[in-house]
Amino acid sequence: MSARDHAAYQDEVGAYLLGALTDLEVQAFERHMAHCPNCRDEVERLRPAADSLPRAVEQLEAPPTLKTALMEVVEQEAEERTGESARPARRPRRRFMPLLRPVLVAGALVLGAAAGFGVARLSEEEPQEPRTLAAKVDQSRIPDASGRLVVQGQGDNGAILRVQGMPSLQPDQVYQAWVLRDGAIVPQPTFDVGDTGGGAVAIPDNLSGAQEVLVTRERRGGARAPTEEPILAVRL
Amino acid sequence: MPVVVSDIRNLADEEVMQLVGDGNPRAFELLYDRHGGASFSLAYRMVGNRVTAEDITQEAFLSIWRSRLRYDRARGSVRTWVLGIVHNRAIDALRRGAVHDRRRETLEGVEERHEARERTEVEAARNEEARSVRTALDALPEEQRRTIELAYFAGFSHSQIAELLDEPIGTVKGRMRLGLDKLRRQLSEGHAAGGFA
Repeated sequence: MSARDHAAYQDEVGAYLLGALTDLEVQAFERHMAHCPNCRDEVERLRPAADSLPRAVEQLEAPPTLKTALMEVVEQEAEERTGESARPARRPRRRFMPLLRPVLVAGALVLGAAAGFGVARLSEEEPQEPRTLAAKVDQSRIPDASGRLVVQGQGDNGAILRVQGMPSLQPDQVYQAWVLRDGAIVPQPTFDVGDTGGGAVAIPDNLSGAQEVLVTRERRGGARAPTEEPILAVRL
Repeated sequence: MPVVVSDIRNLADEEVMQLVGDGNPRAFELLYDRHGGASFSLAYRMVGNRVTAEDITQEAFLSIWRSRLRYDRARGSVRTWVLGIVHNRAIDALRRGAVHDRRRETLEGVEERHEARERTEVEAARNEEARSVRTALDALPEEQRRTIELAYFAGFSHSQIAELLDEPIGTVKGRMRLGLDKLRRQLSEGHAAGGFA
């Protein structure tokens, strides 16, 4: 290692700690640091300052639906790992009542009628009780998938979408939820599924007055507008 | 000796992480209860909208759960470690473009963008700590503080910052290092004075 190399890398200590290097630059810096005690020491000397930065942020309360969605996934995956229930089984009252009306979706998001969708409302609880709505899936694209939406109250407190049997996506892809309201498509969070295709996502939007919750496959990071016809839809 | 689950809330973060690594969902829930708010706050500060911030927080915590990421004590506290994961995820999201495209429209907007929200008591207590660190940050020379914020909170690379500010890359790198060094000293003085407890 030449003194010139060291000087060049030492200048990058701050950028390294702040996450301001590209992936390639990070790799080069860490290779250099592995053999350079001076740079290692400098990184450790300045690290407390970089580590303090997230604490300068105004502290907000995370939406409760975020924890609910996370724990849905975690509980489900823990059960799959152990083969037994990690929590008392919840038994929602179910009144199976097929919905016979065809589902009409606005504009370019009309779902193919030949796709073989089936839809059912699983339960009709008291007005303030969570409602569970079954999803219709595009069986030509996700034949083994199913989903259900648990709507809090009248939908003004958001909802949790739970899916199962969803296919694995490419590493640069992610599932994304959408809310259809009066012809407008409102982006919702993206989500991944586990090895067995199970997953959950919180729908933070107020669903009062919305017509459907939809799911598409998008590039990781999400999209501002759907890039494909929905593969899953829940009529509200 | 195995940890009794009913005692889990008395465990230190480091012990909770051992249980999370063993696939214990109650330990994971506790980890989220302790650090989910700070994680969401950091993500929100970086990306500027709630939906993306929720995405990032969810992705970060699921990555901890699914990959059984091992916490390394040498890297600092569990909170620092978790926030580091959230920060990396947020930078990934920012560099994928959608958020940066909007942020480029107004550099001023990068530095402070918060929706008005009601505050809880917990938020208020944590905001005391935030104010202390913020005071140290605000004491930096303007160009150093601005460079650090563009890098850490807005996720710009050093070359992007150089372009945005029309400064040589070497100058930008120097400001980052000097700014962190000064921030470190400010925080040390604050600790000595009891101001950053």
